[in-house]
Amino acid sequence: MVTKISIQNLRKIYDTPERRVHALEGVNLNIEDGEFICLVGLSGCGKTTLLNMLAGFVEITAGTITMDGKPLTQDYDKGVVFQEYALFPWRTARQNVEYGLEIRNVPEEERNRIALEYLRLVRLEDFADFFPHNLSGGMRQRVAVARAMAFDPQILLMDEPFGALDAQTREELQALTVDVWQKTKKTILYVTHNLSEAVYLGNRIVVFVPNPGRIREIVKVDLPRPRDDLAPEFIRLQRHVNDLIRDF
Amino acid sequence: MQTSEAPPVPQSMDEKKKELRTSLLFKLRPIYPFIVILAIWQVAAMQARGNQGRLFPTVDAIVYRAWELVTDPLFRALAENPNLSFLDHIWKLLESPILLHTLNTAWRLPFSFFIAAVVGTIVGIMMGRFAFWESFFVPLLSVLLPIPAIAWTPIVVIWSGIGDQTVIVITAFASFLPIAMAVWTGVKTVNPVWIRAAQSMNADKMTIFRTVVLPGSLPMILSGMRIGLARAWRAGVGAEAFAGIRWGLSAGIFDAQEYLDIAFMMVALGILGLFGFVLEKVLFQPIESRTVIRWGMMEAMGAQDKKV
Ligand SMILES: Nc1ncnc2c1ncn2[C@@H]1O[C@H](COP(=O)(O)OP(=O)(O)OP(=O)(O)O)[C@@H](O)[C@H]1O
Ligand SMILES: [Mg+2]
Repeated sequence: MVTKISIQNLRKIYDTPERRVHALEGVNLNIEDGEFICLVGLSGCGKTTLLNMLAGFVEITAGTITMDGKPLTQDYDKGVVFQEYALFPWRTARQNVEYGLEIRNVPEEERNRIALEYLRLVRLEDFADFFPHNLSGGMRQRVAVARAMAFDPQILLMDEPFGALDAQTREELQALTVDVWQKTKKTILYVTHNLSEAVYLGNRIVVFVPNPGRIREIVKVDLPRPRDDLAPEFIRLQRHVNDLIRDF
Repeated sequence: MQTSEAPPVPQSMDEKKKELRTSLLFKLRPIYPFIVILAIWQVAAMQARGNQGRLFPTVDAIVYRAWELVTDPLFRALAENPNLSFLDHIWKLLESPILLHTLNTAWRLPFSFFIAAVVGTIVGIMMGRFAFWESFFVPLLSVLLPIPAIAWTPIVVIWSGIGDQTVIVITAFASFLPIAMAVWTGVKTVNPVWIRAAQSMNADKMTIFRTVVLPGSLPMILSGMRIGLARAWRAGVGAEAFAGIRWGLSAGIFDAQEYLDIAFMMVALGILGLFGFVLEKVLFQPIESRTVIRWGMMEAMGAQDKKV
């Protein structure tokens, strides 16, 4: 396997006038091409911070991130799915998915075709001309996933994308995410609070602990897909991750 | 686009008729309060006698006077020369004072508002985009905003004389202030998640401004325009009267005061009210229902109706 992203001795300190937050310390992680990585940990242990540094939203205090062996640039292709509802309300589902293609000057006809293709991937082709406010929460996040993927980014960064949804919708979207991942073979970094979700989705689970935020352990998940969340092995792994998160 | 439109259910004739009647009655509902007020007015005015009656005309007298005001020059001309051409008809109609007053107000106000909207939007965007212009304009606008624009009338009259220009300056100024403030607030408070989303797809600053900040702040901008129009209306009507110009509805109202022509005043006031209503209907509602309401960024005005 080829190393896609390499993170070395990463540190992040937020310096605000009121306080200094040591958000991440000594983070080392190698992510292989096409891997599905889940980041878990208690609130405030720096998961979003790591994702934001990968997305280029937040500056690195110390350490390096390289991609394909080269230092990370601001404008490499990455798709980001936010926890909040981040679609543009003034664009229809299809126009939202087309946004990244517009930025890349893809001609209109092709844009159209690609957008529909990705909407089909998230099973929303019938809702292409709907404005987001006419879609349900789960549908909106599916559009957001399609938008993040349509311009064929190398990696996908997802920060608790389905956290605000009800359990049934979330399960459905988890299965869809695995399906999309298997079809597109993208590298995915996925932050979640939900350990069952992490075991269901990830090739590996990176467990963070806080103060300062650091990696406690990286758990490999070797269960065959599609995974059964009631299988004893699944539950054993979930319990193991749960123990790691809490006792440190 | 919308799927909520279910295919129409076939109905019997009776039901259809009933529905039509109720919906017509429903649509006319906003008129009822006016009917009540007019009825009270009429009854009260009928009690007034003699000179008092002149100062408190009945509704029918006002309506008759309105008719007279509009058609008087035409009928007088027709009495002199019964075969006027069609164009002369229109020409004579336009000689009626109330129409002249109305036309003068009717072009000055939208014109001033248009200037204010353009300048206000530009200044608001500059404030929202550049820290320098923000720190330059915010103190200025905060001081100017609470001053009623009419209070500037004497100064503007001294500087620019009596005439259209004075009214236009005051009207445009009054409406510029809230528009600039609203555009600035709108640009500053665009949901940061939208901007991050655009950034994550590598949009540059200019593109983000054009494709995210502008549409994202449209609800604020439109509401600023609304306030701006209301302000323009008030200031413009006041300035007409105070600047001492000849033509304009409120100039006419103050003239009519000298002749105790209550009916004229009532007619002019009615036209003023109608104006605001029409501007709202033809300007703001179509824009809003095509943009922010369609996008779900603002509750539809109609939605409130349905709840009542
Ligand atoms: N912009 C910022 N300025 C200052 N401190 C920050 C900033 N962003 C995050 N922090 C701090 O850094 C730490 C890590 O935050 P981060 O958002 O990465 O945690 P997280 O693991 O994503 O938490 P959660 O699971 O609640 O989302 C927290 O203590 C937080 O208060
Ligand atoms: Mg977070």
